[in-house]
Amino acid sequence: MKVTLNWLKDYVDFDLSADDLSHRLTMAGLEVDAMEHLGEGLDSVIVARLADVQQHPDADRLTVCKVETGSVTQQVVCGAKNHKTGDLVALAQVGTVLPGNFKIKKSKIRGQESCGMLCSVSELGMADESDGIMILSSELTIGQPVFKELGLKDIMYEIGLTPNRADCLSVVGVAREVSAMVDATLQLPEPVIVESDSPAAEKTSVVIEDADFCPRYAARLIENVKIGPSPEWLSRRLEAVGMRSINNVVDVTNFVMMELGQPLHAFDFNLLRERRIVVRRAKDGDQFTTLDGQVRTLMGSDLVICDGAGPVALAGVMGGGNSEVNEKTTDILLESAYFNPTTIRRTSKRLGLHTESSHRFERGTDVDMVPLALDRAAALIAELAEGAIARGAVDIYPEELTRQVVIITASRTSQVLGLDIDADDIRCKLNSIGLKSELLVDRRDGAVSVEVPNFRPDLEREIDLIEEVARLIGYDHIPVTMPVSTMSCQQLPAHLSLERQVRDRMVQMGYAEIINYSFFNADCLGKIRLAEADQRRQNVQILNPLTEEHGTMRTTLVPSLLETAARNQAYRSEDLALFELRPVFQPDNGSEVPCESLRLTALLCGRREPQGWAQSAEPADFFDIKGVVEQLLLHLKISDVKWQTEHDEAFYHPGKSCALYQGERLLGTLGELHPEVLHNFDLGQSAILCDLDVEALFELSNDTVKFKPLSRFPDVQRDSAFLVDIDISAQQALAVLGKVKIKDLESIELFDVYCGEGVPAGKKSLAIRACYRAMDRTLTDEIIQNLHGKLIKAMEREFDAELR
Amino acid sequence: MKDKLSKIEEEALQAVTVVTSEVELQQLRARYLGRKGEITAVMKGMGQLSPEERPLAGALANEVKDRLETAFAVRQESLRQELMQQKLASESLDVTLPGRKQGRGYKHPITQVTEEVVAIFSALGFGVAEGPEIEKDFYNFEALNIPKDHPARDMQDTFYVSEEVVLRTHTSPVQIRTMLEQEPPVRVVAPGTVYRRDSDVTHSPMFHQIEGFLVDERVTFGDLKGILTTFITEFFGSNVDVRFRPSFFPFTEPSAEVDIQCVICGGSGCRVCGQTGWLEILGSGMIDPEVFKSVNYDPEKYSGFAFGMGIERIAMLKYGVNDLRLFFENDLRFLKQF
Repeated sequence: MKVTLNWLKDYVDFDLSADDLSHRLTMAGLEVDAMEHLGEGLDSVIVARLADVQQHPDADRLTVCKVETGSVTQQVVCGAKNHKTGDLVALAQVGTVLPGNFKIKKSKIRGQESCGMLCSVSELGMADESDGIMILSSELTIGQPVFKELGLKDIMYEIGLTPNRADCLSVVGVAREVSAMVDATLQLPEPVIVESDSPAAEKTSVVIEDADFCPRYAARLIENVKIGPSPEWLSRRLEAVGMRSINNVVDVTNFVMMELGQPLHAFDFNLLRERRIVVRRAKDGDQFTTLDGQVRTLMGSDLVICDGAGPVALAGVMGGGNSEVNEKTTDILLESAYFNPTTIRRTSKRLGLHTESSHRFERGTDVDMVPLALDRAAALIAELAEGAIARGAVDIYPEELTRQVVIITASRTSQVLGLDIDADDIRCKLNSIGLKSELLVDRRDGAVSVEVPNFRPDLEREIDLIEEVARLIGYDHIPVTMPVSTMSCQQLPAHLSLERQVRDRMVQMGYAEIINYSFFNADCLGKIRLAEADQRRQNVQILNPLTEEHGTMRTTLVPSLLETAARNQAYRSEDLALFELRPVFQPDNGSEVPCESLRLTALLCGRREPQGWAQSAEPADFFDIKGVVEQLLLHLKISDVKWQTEHDEAFYHPGKSCALYQGERLLGTLGELHPEVLHNFDLGQSAILCDLDVEALFELSNDTVKFKPLSRFPDVQRDSAFLVDIDISAQQALAVLGKVKIKDLESIELFDVYCGEGVPAGKKSLAIRACYRAMDRTLTDEIIQNLHGKLIKAMEREFDAELR
Repeated sequence: MKDKLSKIEEEALQAVTVVTSEVELQQLRARYLGRKGEITAVMKGMGQLSPEERPLAGALANEVKDRLETAFAVRQESLRQELMQQKLASESLDVTLPGRKQGRGYKHPITQVTEEVVAIFSALGFGVAEGPEIEKDFYNFEALNIPKDHPARDMQDTFYVSEEVVLRTHTSPVQIRTMLEQEPPVRVVAPGTVYRRDSDVTHSPMFHQIEGFLVDERVTFGDLKGILTTFITEFFGSNVDVRFRPSFFPFTEPSAEVDIQCVICGGSGCRVCGQTGWLEILGSGMIDPEVFKSVNYDPEKYSGFAFGMGIERIAMLKYGVNDLRLFFENDLRFLKQF
């Protein structure tokens, strides 16, 4: 909503500086988004008279003008066509800087000297677009600044209104707020209607067929109007608040809408078939062409204004082309009505047709403003278009809408706001914005009975009034306190705490956290070689995505992680350690809400160590990421896991990847990326990935710590290397060794794997280190020999191993 | 014999002073004090002395032996010191070379700011709650006093999954879920990911919010001001001015928008604050009685306040980030700065 300082002053007498008013409006809940000083810095644009206009000798489209500015006459070359000798025009003198930082300089155009520029309305920043240069009223004084002469030195405020403040969708509404701020009276316009002898009731009629959708419809007939351009003051005022001037009649309807908040519509009376109005619901499937030339298909829930034959306007939204005011119009039927907000909103939303009119009706207009707005516009049309107002207004209002009465108490108000306020204070505050409040003296809680006028449909409950009181006191004046509240322990919920721990561990291990959008294009699942039958192809679609790339909720974090890696490689960040810890989404059979589950996906590529003069340039490999997964398992105290070579994940290198299980439960997968996938994502070097089901890890994690006493006796270590078949896995060997029951065996570690010289083909050497220690004595050599022998025997028995 | 011992002692003490290595010192020690050494030889010869002379000579020999032992020990220690000094003098590093780099990870700035905000509210006694990112219309709108066909729905452009299921447009549904599960008093913050159908320099279709609310008996608008002012001074510093101004949210009344003095220009007006000197950082208000009704709280008995803020927004202000999209491009050059 745009208003100007001067326009506000038409209704309330106040003396606030431009900045002060801006601040006060914002602090009253009418947030000033922008403030513009109209005509600022444009005093060098002055009123000038065209003493002579000649065709440019060397250019068909240009004219050479002699311009009088009082004392001197200057020559200006002009490209417009709408000017002639004798016109008053706006001359931007040399040195002027026009809006858009356009500086006027002395120049020669096709050989003719030009000292300044004749301006159009848009060049002066008064409208977004315009045709030709501005021709000024002949009453202005030559040589004076244009803005001053037009009374346009003004300040425009653009207010970002919240949807509850329908009452401030008008200059008068904003003025009412200002009047409360400065404790002044609001002066509404008082139109003087001079009626002709011709009675309107004999020439036309209005019938409301659906009073729920249209509770009130008023109209006036204005005859013998002359359609023409609006006077300067009217078009400038509309332009100042962002509207285009069209003609005197349409401009008046727009002006009154901006002034009073009541949208109006002017019909060409002679184009109304049977010259009457019927307000009814449309019929399903009716076709109707709105003013903008679009054919609209209507529904039974739309309200239409009809003449004797059919629709002539989409009620409250837009008029029809068939009854539009045009140059030939002589008689006008002016509509001022109140429509049901929800009705207008549904129609406007369904048709995607949002207008200044629908914007106001759907937020709720003031039913009591209908007659005043009608008279105000009729009087202005009579004045500006020389029309004659037919005698008597039509005003159909079958059932008067009652004004709500709401009780507000001082005790409740004080309690909600945390201050002391008495009932009389409340009454004064509320009356300052046009409410009618009275003290209920027989009640002891400081009750005030408030009659809410119809321009404030948002005030329905006590709490709504309490907000008004707070707003009028000023939020700044409400004391700052701390709550007196019951103490209770508020620990982080377990899974949030675990999530934070996992994230912290990943960061400590050198990984950078990334956050990608939760949506993707499901086509990327092909790029990670996901099988057609894969469950992750069952996904959640967004019905109204912004782009196809964001059309589906992610079912896996892998593709976006790979895209992130590729993008970083393109920026020459080649050594990457990235992870994402975010939910994925899948349809949940039997529930309308999809299922969300947290996953951890990490990627490693490039060198294992940071680059440096004393650092290894070795590339990272599978065991780096496996080490990360093992660290997480240790942290979460998950043991007894199984690393299984067989898995279904086709985005890994088949020989350098595995699945992680505990029992039958799949916890995740890890491995080197498949070269095809590297290719699909333009990744220049091999990458290692892990993709973990974090929910499963959290379920299996446990935080119980059980202390084991320490032995005071020395340990003894024994190393043994075994030759075994090359396809015996470390996991198999350790499983067999782990099954041998030895009481004083403290640990077994695999410390070397070797193939090559000295080891026969088809075999490999596995070296283990066993550590023995007893709680109660020093173990002798003989005992150790005996214990270690059991391990050797187990290896020999199970794998035909040969001690090296 | 006495002369002989004196001579040996004199010789030995002289020799000790000139040895230059521990090996030589060992050899010297063997020569004088070893089993086949000169002192031993003299002591073996004592058998030839008369019984009267023997104890005197024995005592003398032991004294000489003790003195030599001491001299050898002193020399040994001084040699060790000399050697160590020599070694130290010969060893040195170019300590100006860079240290061996340790792998370093980075927490996403969104996570860092979220954790910081949560920490402040935890210290104020707030717990943490979470909710799903895909929500039923009921939790996201209806229960928050945003009925269908209400103009307030236009305040947030919504992604739909089905007619009744949306990507949540704010973290406020967590408020509803928490209140349906818990009786007052409740004090909770709820960080999370939210979605709006909007994308340009200042809007991202996915972003993060943190919601907070407190419900108890006799909670006032003054308390809302107290808690939020405390949060802002903790997060932005105690020298930052705060103002509360009226606004509108369907689920709070009275509603307040909270502005801080522009952290870029200090309040004098700049591009970031649109020349106003103020930056809008959070929305808040007293929870609307309608909301209490939809979660079966008695609005006559309880009151409370709620607030919500955009994590990206305050992260941008805190770090001076000028483009929202950077948070989701995951460029390491960006992530490494936090």
